[in-house]
Amino acid sequence: MSDRIFGAVGLCLALFYGWATLQIQESFLSDAVGPKTFPLVIAVILGLASLVILLRPDPDPVWPSLARLAEILAAVVVMILYAEFLPVVGFLIATAFASAYLTWRLGTGPLQSVVVGVATSIGIYVIFKLVLGLSLASGPFGF
Amino acid sequence: MAFKLMRAAIAVAALTVATGASAQECIAPANPGGGWDFTCRQVGKTMQDLGLIDSTMQVVNLAGGGGGVAFAEVVNKRNDDDNLIVAASSATATRLAQGAYPGNSMDQVRWIGSIGADYGVIAVAADSDIQTLPELLDKIKADPNSVSVAGGSAVGGWDHLKVLIAADAYGIDDVRKVKYIAFDGGGEAVTQLLAGSVQAFTGDLSEAKGFVDSGDIRVIAVLAPERLDGEFSEFPTAKEQGVDAIGANWRGFYAPGGMSDEAYQAWVDKVGQLYASDEWKQVMAANGLAPLNLQGAEFESFVQNSVQQIQDISRQIGIIK
Amino acid sequence: MDTLMSLADGFHTALTFENLLLALLGTFLGTMMGALPGLGPSNGVAILIPLAFTLGLGATPSLILLTSVYYGAMYGGRISSILLNIPGDEPAMMTCLDGYPMAKKGLAGEALSLSGIASFVGAFIATWGLILLAPQLVKFALLFGPAEYFALFALAFATLGGVSSTNQAKSAFAAMLGLGLSVIGVDTQTGVPRLTFGEVHLYDGLDFLVAIVGLFALSEVFIFLEHRHGSATGAGHKVSVGRITPPWKMVKETTPTMLRSSLLGFVAGVLPGAGASLGSFISYSMEKKLVDRKNTFGTGDPRGVAAPEAGNNAAAGGALVPMLALGVPGSGTTAVLLAVLLSLNITPGPLLFQNNPDVVWGLIAALFIANFMLLAMNIPMVGIFTRVLMIPPRILMPIVAMVSFVGIYGISGSSFDLLVMIGFGVMGWLLRKLDVPLVPIILGTLLGNTMENNLRRAVTISNGDYWTLVGSPLAIGLWTVAIVGFILPLFLSRFVKARMHERGDDEGAISD
Repeated sequence: MSDRIFGAVGLCLALFYGWATLQIQESFLSDAVGPKTFPLVIAVILGLASLVILLRPDPDPVWPSLARLAEILAAVVVMILYAEFLPVVGFLIATAFASAYLTWRLGTGPLQSVVVGVATSIGIYVIFKLVLGLSLASGPFGF
Repeated sequence: MAFKLMRAAIAVAALTVATGASAQECIAPANPGGGWDFTCRQVGKTMQDLGLIDSTMQVVNLAGGGGGVAFAEVVNKRNDDDNLIVAASSATATRLAQGAYPGNSMDQVRWIGSIGADYGVIAVAADSDIQTLPELLDKIKADPNSVSVAGGSAVGGWDHLKVLIAADAYGIDDVRKVKYIAFDGGGEAVTQLLAGSVQAFTGDLSEAKGFVDSGDIRVIAVLAPERLDGEFSEFPTAKEQGVDAIGANWRGFYAPGGMSDEAYQAWVDKVGQLYASDEWKQVMAANGLAPLNLQGAEFESFVQNSVQQIQDISRQIGIIK
Repeated sequence: MDTLMSLADGFHTALTFENLLLALLGTFLGTMMGALPGLGPSNGVAILIPLAFTLGLGATPSLILLTSVYYGAMYGGRISSILLNIPGDEPAMMTCLDGYPMAKKGLAGEALSLSGIASFVGAFIATWGLILLAPQLVKFALLFGPAEYFALFALAFATLGGVSSTNQAKSAFAAMLGLGLSVIGVDTQTGVPRLTFGEVHLYDGLDFLVAIVGLFALSEVFIFLEHRHGSATGAGHKVSVGRITPPWKMVKETTPTMLRSSLLGFVAGVLPGAGASLGSFISYSMEKKLVDRKNTFGTGDPRGVAAPEAGNNAAAGGALVPMLALGVPGSGTTAVLLAVLLSLNITPGPLLFQNNPDVVWGLIAALFIANFMLLAMNIPMVGIFTRVLMIPPRILMPIVAMVSFVGIYGISGSSFDLLVMIGFGVMGWLLRKLDVPLVPIILGTLLGNTMENNLRRAVTISNGDYWTLVGSPLAIGLWTVAIVGFILPLFLSRFVKARMHERGDDEGAISD
C-alpha cells in the first residue's frame, strides 16, 4: 500500500513539475533547445517511474507508531526553530538548546542532556570557529 | 555566513579570537574562491600591508542570487553600517540593469571606487582563417548560424553582451541572431575553441592570456578605448578596426546607502590610496587587470552609465522589457 | 629522463622543513574536514586560503598546503561513510554502499585501513599519470565536445540501474528527482529563473552539499529517533570494530580492483565536469559489473570499498591535469585551487610547465609527500577513528546533526539553506523507508546542470539538429556502451544472465 501511495504522490509530483516547467518565462533570446525541454523530459520519466511503482509495489515497510512519528515531527520543528533563531540568539546558545533537546529525546537523562548539549556546542565552536576560522552566527553577546 | 580571515596559525588559533566589533568587514557575495571573494581578500590584505586599516579585514561570504542576497542584506539590514564594504563588478551592474535583484536598484547603496578593469577580448583559434574583427562580423552578418561564439557567462551575461555590443556597433540589425554558447567560465569556453566545437571566443583578457602566449588562440580585438600597455600592446582594439565597442569588466566596491559621509569619504580615500600604491600595481599586473582609476562621485556616475548602457542593449535584444 | 630530473628538482623544492610541516598540517586538517559532513574538499581548501595568505607563504608553499588539504579531504571523506553511513563529502558517497555494511559486520577497522590503502594506490597512480601523461591527456580531453560530454553523463546514469537498488523504477525515480532538483535556479544558458517560485535564495540553485548532508546525515538522525527504544541505548558499547590492519588476503584480493579503479577514476578526473564524484561512481559501477559474480556488492564486499576510494583519489589527481595544463577546473576544488594560482601570479595553461617549472614540479613532489604522509597517518589512526563507534548513538547523533548544520551555515551563512537541508532530511527519511536509493539523487543534483548544458550547447551549435549527439565516433562509442552494456541487460537479464558477464569484460576494455 505504501508504494501505491508513493507512486501516486510521485505521479502528482511529476504533473506538478511538468506544470511548473511550462510556467517558465522564456526570454526573447533562447537557444535551440530552450529552458523547458530538459525538465519536461525529466517530468515524463519521473511520471513513468512513479507509474511503475504504483502498479508493481514492493512489500510495505514497517511504519513507526504515531507516537514515534510525533517524535520525529517534534525534532523537525526544533530544527526549524534552530535555523530561524540561530542568527538571532547566536551560535552557542542555539546549538546548546538544540543538541540538548535531541540528546534528551534519544534517551539520555535530562540533566546529562544539558551537559552534553553545552559540551557539544562549545566543542563545535572551538573546532569550527577557533581552529577552522568559520564565522558562525554571533548573537547579541558575540558568540 | 562564511568565514573570517584568521590571522594566526592553527596552532595558536585558540588565542586569536576574532577581533572586536570595530573591525572592517568586506562582504564577498559569493562562495569562497570566486572573483568577488578574491577582490575582498586581496584588497583586505594589501590595505593591511599598507597600514590603511589597523586590523585584518574580515571577509564574509554571503552567496546567493548572483550577489542579490548580499545586496538585499546590505540594503535591508546593514544600511547604516560604517565599517562595511561589498565587492562588486560588471556582473553586479549587469544584474542591476536587468532587474535581476528584485526590488533593488543601484542608488540604494553608495559606490566607493574601482580597483581595476579587465578588458574584453574577442579571439579565434590560431588556425582559423578569420584575421580581423570585421571579417568575423561579416561572416556573422552573412550567415549567423555558421559562427558559434563561446563565452563564460550565461546568455544576457557580460561575456555575451560584449559580443553583442560589437555586433551592434558594426551595424548588424538583429543582434539576437548572433549564436552565443554559454559555458561555465572562460577557461571552458577557450577549451572548446581549441577543441573546434566553436569558432570564436568572447571573454576577458586575463582568461585568454595563457592561450595567447602559447600560440593556441589569436586575439582579433580588444574592447578597450586604446591599445593596452606592455605585452598586450600588439592586440588591435576594436575601435581601430572601425568597430566602436568598449567592454570593461571592472572590479570595485559599494557600501551601505546609509553610511555616514565621513565614513564614506574615508573609504573612498583608502581605496584611492590603495590604487595609487606600488603594491596594488603589482597585484594588478599579476591578475591582468588594466587601469581604471575612479573613486567617489566619478565612480558612481561610471556605474550609472554602465547600468544605463547595459539596460539599453538588454532592452534592444529583448532580455528585459 | 628529463622528467625524472625535473621531479628530483621538485623534491628539492618541496623537501624543506617548512614545506614538510605545511604538508603535515594540510593533510591533518584536510582529513578532519573531509570527515566532517558538510565540509568537503572544496570548502576545505577555500577555508585555508586565508591562512596561506596571512602566513605570507610563497607560491610553492601555499600550493603544498592547499593540495595537501585537497588530498587529505579525499582520504577523510571515507571515515564517516564507513563509520556512520554518512558521506563526509560527495565523492565518498559510494563508499557508504559497502563500507557501512562492513562496519556493521564488525569489520570497521578493516574497511578503514583497506580504504586508506586504496586511497593511497589511487592517488599514487594518478600522480604518476599526471607526470607522465599530462600533455597527451590534454589532447584526449579536447576530444570531448558538448555532445561527447552529454553521452558520458548518459552513460553514468545508465549504469545506475545496476548499482543501487533492486527496484529499477525506484532508481529511475531517484535519478529524475535529483536531475529535477538540479534544474532549479537561474538557467545558465538563457538567464531565466526556473522553478524558483520567485525565491531569490533559489536563484543560484540548490547546493548539492545541502542535499547530501540533509539526505544522509539528518535522515540518519530521524531514523535513530524512530528506533530509540530499539538498539540505540546500551548496545553501542559492544560494537566490534575489527583489527586496524586488513588481512593480507583482503589486500591481495582487492589489488586488481584498486588498479582498475585507479585508471578509470584518473581518466574520469581528467575530463572537466564532475571530477572525483564521477570518478568514484564510475569505478564502483564498472567494478560491480566486472567482478560481482555472487552479488555481494552492497553487502560489505571489500572490493566495493576499495573501488570507489581508489577511484575518487585517482580522480582528484586527474582533475589537476586540466587545471594545470588548460586552466580549466575539472571540479569544485580545482576551481578554488585555480583561483589561488591566479592570485599567486601564476597563470595555469599550456605554458605553465615551461614558465613555472619550479611550481609545477614542487607541487607534484608535494603530492607524493602528502600521499605518503596520509598513508602513514591514516593507518595507525584507524584505531582512533573507530572509537567513534564507542560513543552511544544518543550522544553521537545530535553531534552529527549539529556538525551538519554548522558545516552548511558556516559556508553559506544562510538560514534558508538550513531549512532546505531539514527538508532534505525529512525527504531522505521517507525515501529510505520506501527503499528508494539516495545515491542517484545526489548524482542527479551533481551532474544535472552540466548534462543539460552540454545537451543544449551541442544542439545549439548544430543549429537545432539533435543528430549531432551521435555525430562522432567517441559519442557513438559511449552511447553503445551505455545501451548495450547497461540498459539492454536490465530488460534481458532474466534470459541471458550468463552472457552479461562476458559482455561486462569487453566494456571494461572499451571504456578504459
